[in-house]
Amino acid sequence: MNIYEVLETLFEQKLNLIEGLNSELYLPLDESGLEKVLNVMNENSFELISLFCVEDFAEKGFTLFYAFEITGFEQTLIFQYALNANQAPSIAKTFPSACWYEREITDGFGIEFQGAFDTRRLFLHETYPKDFHPLLKSFKNGPIETAPPSEQNDYVFKQVEGDGVYQIPVGPVHAGIIEPGHFRFSVIGEAIFNLEVRLFYKHRGLEKLAEGMAPQDCVRIAESISGDETVANAVAYCIAVEKICGLSIPKRALQLRTVLMELERVYSHLGDLAGMCVDVAYPVGASPFFILREEIFRHNEALTGSRFMKDTFAVGGLTKDVPAGALQNLSVYLKGFPDRFGVATAIDNSYFSVIDRFETTGRVKPEILWPLHITGPVARASGKRTDTRIDHPYGMYGELKLKQKTQTNGDVFARFNLKAAEVLDSIKIIQKIMSELASGEVFAPFQIRDGYVLSMVEAPRGQNVHWVNIKNGLVDRYKVRTASFCNWQAMEHAVLGNIVPDFPLINKSMNLSYAGTDM
Amino acid sequence: MAKAISNVFKKPSTDEFKFGDAELEAICVQLKEKVDRVFGRSLAIRELDAGSDNSTEIELNNLSTPYYDVERFGISFVASPRHADVLIVTGAITRNMEIAAKKTWEAMPAPKFVVAVGDDACGVGIQNESYAVLGGADKIFVVDLKIPGNPPSPKMILMGLLALVHQIEKQTKG
Repeated sequence: MNIYEVLETLFEQKLNLIEGLNSELYLPLDESGLEKVLNVMNENSFELISLFCVEDFAEKGFTLFYAFEITGFEQTLIFQYALNANQAPSIAKTFPSACWYEREITDGFGIEFQGAFDTRRLFLHETYPKDFHPLLKSFKNGPIETAPPSEQNDYVFKQVEGDGVYQIPVGPVHAGIIEPGHFRFSVIGEAIFNLEVRLFYKHRGLEKLAEGMAPQDCVRIAESISGDETVANAVAYCIAVEKICGLSIPKRALQLRTVLMELERVYSHLGDLAGMCVDVAYPVGASPFFILREEIFRHNEALTGSRFMKDTFAVGGLTKDVPAGALQNLSVYLKGFPDRFGVATAIDNSYFSVIDRFETTGRVKPEILWPLHITGPVARASGKRTDTRIDHPYGMYGELKLKQKTQTNGDVFARFNLKAAEVLDSIKIIQKIMSELASGEVFAPFQIRDGYVLSMVEAPRGQNVHWVNIKNGLVDRYKVRTASFCNWQAMEHAVLGNIVPDFPLINKSMNLSYAGTDM
Repeated sequence: MAKAISNVFKKPSTDEFKFGDAELEAICVQLKEKVDRVFGRSLAIRELDAGSDNSTEIELNNLSTPYYDVERFGISFVASPRHADVLIVTGAITRNMEIAAKKTWEAMPAPKFVVAVGDDACGVGIQNESYAVLGGADKIFVVDLKIPGNPPSPKMILMGLLALVHQIEKQTKG
């Protein structure tokens, strides 16, 4: 059965589906229609992958977009619901992951979600004025008047009461060189009874900054979402605009993009593996990973001029070709990599004290994977078969025939082993592509067209979703949902019952980006 | 037990690590000499992320990895602002971090210095037009030194710290 037949069987009616430019299917609905389809989606355990709002989309006013993944199909299904006023029904009780999205939309656009169980502000903290909604078109970006927080607008954390329960507030400024965020632990003895994560301290207003930009310039915004996902986000954005403009880029650019995306995964995972060792106070185990990682950073710099591969990607391909010598050096270097990496993982895998700290720590249980749309290595380490490179192939990944890797235990040790295996897989992908590298241009000229599209990539942390709308040749709306935005919510569940000193370890094993969540 | 004994005698699973970055070593030797003299052998740095894209944090963390290992030269990143001589600020100051950033600075004992690391903290980032940021670190702090870059490499950061210590030495003499 194709996806149309599947959907028509599910919804028991003929559907007015509109085909998008990147195998998305849009379905405009009214309120009763929405309720009906959402019930069906819930009964069949389909996952909500994003929920966002656009002002003045097809008509004046607000339109909500509910994006879903349909298991087994490349296509994504997006329900489009035009609001009559500034109100919409909350779906957070059926789709728990919708809670943050709805709060985000309320902050951005002032839309009220009726029946929502959590109506606290999300990215606008206490100093922002009441009734301030930065994503409204009527708000012109620029400095605003803020006021010191008063008691009325204090953020209220969930209170856990009972014998021996006490709270530990941590952050936003942490003890190490870490991004800012607040963790409120409710603890009994040493065991964590409840954790509430409060983020968005790094909210930089990137979505608003993108509004009105020329599509070519907006790549810089995509790169600054999260420094260590520079490549993933830049490529996701470029793919989106290229789809809108009906552009296919030269083969060499496609191949080099894939090489650089996998290099990013390698250095990111190496950092996690090292970090997990650091957090169990085992620097001997961490050092070999740190050494390899620094070497990858240096290869990145030789290839692109930037250790994080910034200013390398452009709509239409790459900003510049990579030097032939650097490619040659990388190829020689990667030959020796797997053996050295094997020695590094063996140091940790053979040390009982490390394994004792890793095993059974910070379990992400399978039952939260679907309701919260947990993605990337965190999900795969708990047995979820998900990888955007396989489920929704983009760039060259369709031809590569990747094999799905999973672990089952969902603890820190599973995440350690999974990331170690993925590093070696990425090295193989890089080597394969470099052996078949095409010659020729790395940039194709293009004409900007109007349109909208959803684009998805598998960043090192998991699935990143970009939705771009170009109107009158300029970016009208740029909505990004990173893997971290979803996976932070797994943290609140994974730490329960663990001891407080294991929190940094669990956190590192999930490797969540604050910048990528706060935007 | 047998494993513990065999571990003592078998070939170590770690390799000897050789690096040969003469330029880096030269910077660090100068830095150590100055840190010894000006800061009594220990320069304590507190890092404050006020809204960066996290790449600058990664480079600062890299300073403690085997290729750089700056603790050899008397430089340490400390857990509390109360232990710090220098505040390294990264990222444009977001409105959501303004209060926490100021409190961090206030918690530091004098004499204290502020270094802005990365384009955003130096006030030349792409986010300056946003409602959500105040601008560079100099919007709320007196900045003693700026180390630009998107992000600056670990070597650039060390060169910046050398310049800072040099500047402080000149000030204290004058």
